[in-house]
Amino acid sequence: MKFYSFVFCLFLGNLVFAQQSEDLIPKDAVTVFSINNISLLQKISMDDLVRYEFMEEVQQELFDGSTSGKTLKDSGIDFNQKLNVFYGRGDAYEVSGFTFGIKNKEELFQVFDDFEKIESTYPNVEFYSSYFNNLIIRGNSALLIRVEPTMEKVDEVTDSIWYARGNEDPWTMYDYEEEMESDSAYQEILEEEIFEEMEEEDKPVSSYDFPDADEDPNQKNYYELRDSVQVQMQMGFLKTLCDELLVKKISLADFDPRFAKQLTHASEGIFYLDNSRNLEKAKGLWYFQTMFPSLYDDLKNLYSENILLGDLVLKENSVEFLMEAHYGEELGSIYEKMNDSKFDKNILKYIHNDNTAYFTYNIDLREAYEQAYKIIMPILTDERNAQMSANVLTIELLNEFLNKDALFGTYKGSLFGTFNGIKKIKTKKIIFTYDEEFNYIEEETEAEEDMPIFTLGFTTDRGDIPEKVLKHLSRLTSRFENKGNYWVYENAILESAPLYMINKNGLFIFTNDQDLAINHANGYGKEALSKKDSKKSKKSGFVYGMIDWAQTIERFPRDFFNAEQNSIIDAMRGKTGTMELTSSKTTAEKTNFKLVYNFEGIYDNSGKYLLDLLNSVYVISK
Amino acid sequence: MKTFAYFSLIFVLFGFTSCIEIIDDITIKNDGSGTLKYSINLSSNKVKINSILALDSLEGKKVPTIAEIEAEIISFKNKLNAKTGISQVVIDYNFTDFIFKIQLDFASVTALQTAIKEVIQEVSKEKNIPDLEHNWLSWDGTKIVRSIPDITTSRVKELKTEDIELLKTGNYTSISRFERMVEKFDNPSATLSKNKLAVMIRTNPYSLSQNSNILQNTIYLSPIKN
Repeated sequence: MKFYSFVFCLFLGNLVFAQQSEDLIPKDAVTVFSINNISLLQKISMDDLVRYEFMEEVQQELFDGSTSGKTLKDSGIDFNQKLNVFYGRGDAYEVSGFTFGIKNKEELFQVFDDFEKIESTYPNVEFYSSYFNNLIIRGNSALLIRVEPTMEKVDEVTDSIWYARGNEDPWTMYDYEEEMESDSAYQEILEEEIFEEMEEEDKPVSSYDFPDADEDPNQKNYYELRDSVQVQMQMGFLKTLCDELLVKKISLADFDPRFAKQLTHASEGIFYLDNSRNLEKAKGLWYFQTMFPSLYDDLKNLYSENILLGDLVLKENSVEFLMEAHYGEELGSIYEKMNDSKFDKNILKYIHNDNTAYFTYNIDLREAYEQAYKIIMPILTDERNAQMSANVLTIELLNEFLNKDALFGTYKGSLFGTFNGIKKIKTKKIIFTYDEEFNYIEEETEAEEDMPIFTLGFTTDRGDIPEKVLKHLSRLTSRFENKGNYWVYENAILESAPLYMINKNGLFIFTNDQDLAINHANGYGKEALSKKDSKKSKKSGFVYGMIDWAQTIERFPRDFFNAEQNSIIDAMRGKTGTMELTSSKTTAEKTNFKLVYNFEGIYDNSGKYLLDLLNSVYVISK
Repeated sequence: MKTFAYFSLIFVLFGFTSCIEIIDDITIKNDGSGTLKYSINLSSNKVKINSILALDSLEGKKVPTIAEIEAEIISFKNKLNAKTGISQVVIDYNFTDFIFKIQLDFASVTALQTAIKEVIQEVSKEKNIPDLEHNWLSWDGTKIVRSIPDITTSRVKELKTEDIELLKTGNYTSISRFERMVEKFDNPSATLSKNKLAVMIRTNPYSLSQNSNILQNTIYLSPIKN
């Protein structure tokens, strides 16, 4: 009985006290990529990993050349813990770094040999520092972090102190125009003469003089003051972050239960991106923040709960990226309406079964517009501001006067695209012809050149509207011509090749594929996408994409790449498969995406396959 | 003139490896003065050139805009025009078919060679271009000797088989015209015009790169009738 109690206590103790690397991710992290080492190493052994050529460079970089012969295995890192890379930007500072487990501290400091121990004010926590980088060790986990105040904040505080001390504007101390206009050569000679005549001790250390605060040499100039402010702010922000993380024990996993849940996944890697916090920190929105504060708050609410969670799964013959895009109720309602669209089967007729890559995108813009109008207009109307009121009025009038049936009937929102590799296309070239006296004249003849073949089409209920535009254009220039089943726009692509437009079957299609325009204006018929592949596209949510890497690589135009790029492409031949993107049905809460990279050939596992591919590219490009 | 060939070949080898047509056409009067016409026809590569011009940079180097290329052409023309013994420089170019033509009058073949060498030296970033030491034209009033510097063979060896195949599809035409009849010439690949006032050699950039002597020719003229 005593034995069972002991085991129970040990297990409980491990649960309560064992610190893991993920517990050291600060809550300021907005983006995190976490690699589950345990899971990954089951697929790729450390011995296999260190044998790759590209690892030599990683190890040299890591060990700084000071410990030759060492490998990643000797770095002291505990590969049974997760490795978490993070980044975040707050109002006042940016954080970046990674957390990892420690197996052997002595070995670890052979890697981090330029870090010096500094006094720690936190119990059971060690602090090391190297320039702006800080290494924080708690138990058997470490956090390597860099905290940098944003330059806007640094400037704001510096300016405040600078002016409070009675100084003048530091940026108008020089008359730059006058300086530019003066004879610079003469100026240089004069400065050199003055420098030569100066007593040795009076000579400035640097030839560049900073603006002084005043005549008192003990007073800092503007730049010195800014440096001091930056360092002080850096220390202050680091302390705030450490207090929160090490004293209050609030990590990202404690702050956001969605991240904590994601960490429990047994996949090889997880991804976390909090878009709602990204919006808060978006630099471009400062104008909104300043001019329309309540509108900005409403926008923030609209973007609340907007988060992207992902998993990386390595399977025997595939690599899978599973992503969940979450959003708040209001934004979700717009996406839900937009993505709830009936699949247009007509587009499948125009995708050839032998195509290299294609995508279908199926949305209802009209529904999305109506829902967005319902959600966003009240937000805009609430803003008590003359400029915003004028904008609201304009939008409301447009909403009333515009023929939405015609607009959204012409472009409904659904479209498709294909890449059909490289084909020879007809162009014109000039040749010189000679007479018997060797005089020559220019003659235009037909030529052929390689060109990537693309098709892009969108569904339309109002094919008559683009037809009106084309008819008008054909009256303006002879380069537009109606050929019956299709329109042609001569020399539209790179001033050399024609662009074909097909306006049939509720679709408006742009293509440079002459064969499609001339012979298949009503679709490919039996040569169209197979039923099996069509079903995949129809079954997917609003988006579906497929790339056949083997064919794409084979059909890459060699002429468009240099010798080195072609060598890399050659290396990828034979290591290729298919990539497929599917999406779930969009609900008001989320949309799921799945990106699957299937490969063929004999490999131990997908991790090994990826590393082989990476290594091939590294060896060739080295 | 052959320096133009040199630069054009580099253009062919490392810029546009597929079909290109070059005509170098020189007329020499009895007094040693004459006219040079040089044409580069890239119309077979319109798609590729346009796709390159649409880029900001290629292989880490900035791709010039059409305006920048035009400015360079005008600068080249002005530099040539300013040289002693060179006059009537006309450069005709079109960026639809990518055909570039230059025509100029020269007082003597020496003046022509000196002017071209000086301009190339001015526009080149290299200080000493060994190939410019080579004289590709000599004229003594009765015969003209034409040759080309041996500069391309080693570079061609670095090219891939498919690129070498593309070089074979290009054309290089060299025409020499005179005011009096040609008596004989020593290059068996050359042909004589019906009126016997011009000699032409045609080859492709690949053959030229493999054997720079392929265009070498000494053309003997009939004596001047008093």
